[in-house]
Amino acid sequence: MYVKTIPEKCSGCMVCEIVCSMKHWNVVNRYKSGIRIEKRSVIEDIQHVCSHGNECNFECIDACKFDAMKKNNGIVYVDYENCVGCGACEKACPLNAVWIHEKKAYKCDLCGGEPECVKYCSQEAIVVEV
Amino acid sequence: MYCYGGKILSVDLSTGEGVKKTLDEKLASRYLGGDGFGAYFMNKIVDAKTDAFSPDNAIIIAPGLLTGTPVPTAGKTAFFSKSALNNGWNESVMGGRFGFALKQAGYDVLIIKGKAEKLSYLVIKDNEVAIKSAEHLRGETTRKTAEEIKKDEGDVVVASIGIAGEKLVRFACVDCEERQAGRGGIGAVMGSKNLKAIAVYGGNDIEVAKPDKMYELMAKYYEIMINHPSFEDDGKYGTGEFLEWMNKERGTFPTRNWREGVFDERKEIDPYYWAPRYAVKNKACIQCVKPCGKAFVMKKFEGMVDGVEYETLYSLGSNCGVASIEHVAKGNELCDLYGIDTISTGGVIGFIMDLYENGLISKEEVGVDAKFGNGDAMLELIEKIAHREGIGDVLAEGVKKAAEKIGGEASKYAVHVRGMEPPAYDVRGIKGMALAFMTSPRGACHLRSGAYALELVGKFWKFEGVDRFSSDNKGKEIAEMENFMAIYDALGVCKFSRGIFLLNFDEILDAAIGKALKEEELLVIGERICNLKHIFNIKAGWKKEDARLPEKIHKPIPEGVSKGSYVSEEEEKKMLSDYFAARGWDKNGVPTRKKLEELGIEEFMS
Repeated sequence: MYVKTIPEKCSGCMVCEIVCSMKHWNVVNRYKSGIRIEKRSVIEDIQHVCSHGNECNFECIDACKFDAMKKNNGIVYVDYENCVGCGACEKACPLNAVWIHEKKAYKCDLCGGEPECVKYCSQEAIVVEV
Repeated sequence: MYCYGGKILSVDLSTGEGVKKTLDEKLASRYLGGDGFGAYFMNKIVDAKTDAFSPDNAIIIAPGLLTGTPVPTAGKTAFFSKSALNNGWNESVMGGRFGFALKQAGYDVLIIKGKAEKLSYLVIKDNEVAIKSAEHLRGETTRKTAEEIKKDEGDVVVASIGIAGEKLVRFACVDCEERQAGRGGIGAVMGSKNLKAIAVYGGNDIEVAKPDKMYELMAKYYEIMINHPSFEDDGKYGTGEFLEWMNKERGTFPTRNWREGVFDERKEIDPYYWAPRYAVKNKACIQCVKPCGKAFVMKKFEGMVDGVEYETLYSLGSNCGVASIEHVAKGNELCDLYGIDTISTGGVIGFIMDLYENGLISKEEVGVDAKFGNGDAMLELIEKIAHREGIGDVLAEGVKKAAEKIGGEASKYAVHVRGMEPPAYDVRGIKGMALAFMTSPRGACHLRSGAYALELVGKFWKFEGVDRFSSDNKGKEIAEMENFMAIYDALGVCKFSRGIFLLNFDEILDAAIGKALKEEELLVIGERICNLKHIFNIKAGWKKEDARLPEKIHKPIPEGVSKGSYVSEEEEKKMLSDYFAARGWDKNGVPTRKKLEELGIEEFMS
């Protein structure tokens, strides 16, 4: 399962970022979101979000030397007990979907199976792919 | 303080100095944010008598109180400065991501004064503030400027000006991610300060008082919005959805420099025609779940634009008699890239076309065959204006000053109020809006009152049975609508949500800042803000004689369902007097001591 992106439909509103950081951290901060929108041009709003192995080979898990990037039931998540914010995962991710902010890694954890960002995407530009 | 960044940043471009101050809690509670902070700081720190292009003029930028919270459509950023068009109050509200980033960087107000020695850009990254050379970006488009700065500065949000701002075109705008603070020449004021762009990165949290409650409300309003009829209309056709209705059912779509109120050749510029053919997807402002923007990809021309908005379909379309949507879209893109306001641009081009057709200016003087409907001429004139070449140098002064320069009968064809070219509402058949054009603090403007919808439909909020052809009872209506709308600009919420939220922000504000402000309390703040803007204008030399409608408004609409309607000089005076009375101002439009004390702003007027 993962959040599939359809950039041709993304309006660039960034509601997904806000929802994600609110859901996980009770604050608004796009740098604590597990999904990010890159506004590249009028027609290109590119969503970056983890594919949980569907379009990668778990490079972040291999790259982490602190056992902070873990996988459970197909969901790749950050174990904040272990994360030191070294940035190896960010460098290794081929999808540009893991980021370091203030010495912590942030990425999609699929909200335990029901991604909130998908619920609030009015353009259906992100969908759950099983 | 919940929802706030907590600091005010003042930058002096002359000295290179940046000063940070803590945002005062009392100030925040009296003015909320955005428009309120603008009204307060413009009066506090700008000498109202100074010239718009003087280093002493300031640019003040303030995100709304709710900007950067999960409240749907709360993403607005307000820009303030002295107007380059009339040297009075100016504000322009933008939907780009700028204010969000500024707030995440910790700032609720950014004040820029002075003038940089050479073309520069300002970089704000949380606590770090720097002024850097932008000489390598001289003459570049807004789009290219943002791209280049992002290459150097990384993940920043960029607000920039194009060549028009550098050349002090008096209606130059500021662009941020294809959204603009369009009106009144804030881009020209940036140009006068040698400020090419402002780049912001903010990495801090924005906290709300009751996160769980806020999350619930976000979910609630999300449902309401996506199930609202405007969701489908905006989604499919954008802000121009009602263009046909404005022509056929209301007859108030200004055409050929306000000769007519119906554009007969409108087929292509109607979004019902062009959206299915040219719009490849929806585009939204930050934090909006019902996007009204469209990614318009041209076919005949090369280019793409976030648009075309309703106002631009009028200004570059009907007002210039241009029926070709490709020309209008290309004109829109050129305006965005060069950084000029599409409304004023179409206003001055329609004006020169009118003079040309009436033989008041020759082809040699204009440089193109400026007949109404000539789309190529319209595009060429945009080039000339943005670069201040030939007739463009005259038109770049705005329609009022251009008419004065051209002389003779030209002023009769100049459609403006207090130097600002009007938006797409033929107020000859929408009399409350005629008053709103006169009373708006920045000149002819539809957004300070937003009363066009009320007037055209006949009801909104507490008003019912409103007759757009009557000049009765308009003073109170417009004053109250202005107070209402000031709240939207203070909160940073999109005015296209006004039919959804009205002023029922109590539960939202309770979750956001822990204070459930009711409609009555908000309206007092709105009134305070409106009075402060007017006080600034009075200090800048405003006289009631300036608040006049252009001559064309005194002549009847020639055809359509509003045929025969116009605003007489008597009606004009009566509506203005009614407005002054409704505002508690004296017969010359000066706020009384009693009113100032009631609003607690007597310190601003000696």
